[in-house]
Amino acid sequence: MAYAFDFSAVLEYREALLAGTGRTLMLTGIGAVAGLVLGTAGAVSRAWRLAPFDRIFAVYVELIRNTPFLVQLFFIFFGLPSLGVQMDEWQAAILAVVINLGAYSTEIIRAGIEATPRGQIEAAQSLAMTRRQIFFHVVLPPALAKVWPAICSQVVIVMLGTSVCSQIAAEELTFAANFIQSRNFRAFETYFVVTAMYFLLAVGVRQVLALTGQRLLGRRSK
Amino acid sequence: MALVRIEALHKHFGSNHVLRGIDLDIEEGQVIALIGRSGSGKSTLLRTINGLESFDDGSIEVDGEHIRPQGTDLRALRMKVGMIFQQFNLFPHLTAGQNVMLATRIVRKMGDDAARDLAKSMLLKVGLQEKFDAYPDQLSGGQQQRVAIARALAMQPRVLLCDEITSALDPELVNEVLAVVKNLAAEGMTLIMVTHEMRFAREVGDKLVFMYQGRIHESGDPQTLFANPQTPELAGFIGSIN
Ligand SMILES: Nc1ncnc2c1ncn2[C@@H]1O[C@H](COP(=O)(O)OP(=O)(O)OP(=O)(O)O)[C@@H](O)[C@H]1O
Ligand SMILES: [Mg+2]
Repeated sequence: MAYAFDFSAVLEYREALLAGTGRTLMLTGIGAVAGLVLGTAGAVSRAWRLAPFDRIFAVYVELIRNTPFLVQLFFIFFGLPSLGVQMDEWQAAILAVVINLGAYSTEIIRAGIEATPRGQIEAAQSLAMTRRQIFFHVVLPPALAKVWPAICSQVVIVMLGTSVCSQIAAEELTFAANFIQSRNFRAFETYFVVTAMYFLLAVGVRQVLALTGQRLLGRRSK
Repeated sequence: MALVRIEALHKHFGSNHVLRGIDLDIEEGQVIALIGRSGSGKSTLLRTINGLESFDDGSIEVDGEHIRPQGTDLRALRMKVGMIFQQFNLFPHLTAGQNVMLATRIVRKMGDDAARDLAKSMLLKVGLQEKFDAYPDQLSGGQQQRVAIARALAMQPRVLLCDEITSALDPELVNEVLAVVKNLAAEGMTLIMVTHEMRFAREVGDKLVFMYQGRIHESGDPQTLFANPQTPELAGFIGSIN
């Protein structure tokens, strides 16, 4: 007997879907901004060997890149309370996303920083700029422009990865999907819709990031 | 009192003794042409004068500003010493105008309008007033180098260091850059130029300095030295160039 599709059973829950989408985007947005700031700090520490931060970031990057995101999330949410660090599910989710993207973007941005021609830094030094001025005015903008496509990809990967935050009951989009299909028992329709939504989100986020890059980093970040 | 005073300067790269006791006084308004074979230490000498290279022994003084061998705060010195490089080294994400304005705004803390006016007049000086909004990759090598000159001049340095600033240029673009430098010399700018343009060195230089194996082997009036080199090394060098 053929299965009778019933998508209205999913659309009934559109409010839950929209709320979940909003939270997924919020998690991605905060994670992206804070993660990229952290990644930039990590990148300059490593590229310019700023002791002791270069070592600290090296360990941090290896730790995060060689362990699963879900385990990192569980460690923060379930593990840290044993040390007296209590967080609600959103604080834990945001922290996990920031830490995760921070590690990957450290390596991405570092590549951009290291690609700066030595001569441009020397020219800036000759103009009596401080190290800080050189970093923010001369090194960082072209470095970010160079690696912006890789950053966009990584942010999308992180956004898709936030779906595991449903495992600590952060009510983002996947959580909403699980909730809906536990009510309507329409697993196919529910996950079909949510898959499509993730797909559109990914395309949209990529687009927004590309435009942001063009606005902030100029014509070179295409 | 000399504007730049270099005494008994020594510099090693590891076990390579690159500068072996350099003594050189440069008066205000003088144009020094620094010549010599590849590896003789010309660039290294130039780069010690604005602290891009440290040195091991001796002293350098620019307009009363002492450079310590392992220089820490070099910014006061660098306000007085401009440098132009073989590879132009413009900031690729900034327009010509922004390249010229950047340091005047953030280092000399000029207001936006004043910095813009200054940048315009500097670009005018190098004949590129209409390129204010062009990005470096929209400019020819000669134009990029002239923007680099404008950028250095905007900081109003007391002395300008030029390291083979026409060597990366196509032959037909060399003259437009040399013409700008010639004007600066005529206006009384103190210049220290590493150059392979012997004709230019002879015409514009006030003093020729020939480096050989990390020492000043011979120096003096360019016309005289070219016509009458005192050492076989300089004679050989001049011969190899022509
Ligand atoms: N950063 C460095 N590290 C190690 N050795 C260096 C460095 N820079 C220069 N040297 C060495 O110092 C010596 C002098 O180099 P320098 O660049 O001053 O020569 P130069 O006269 O400018 O030569 P050229 O005409 O090729 O530019 C050379 O033996 C060079 O290999
Ligand atoms: Mg050289």
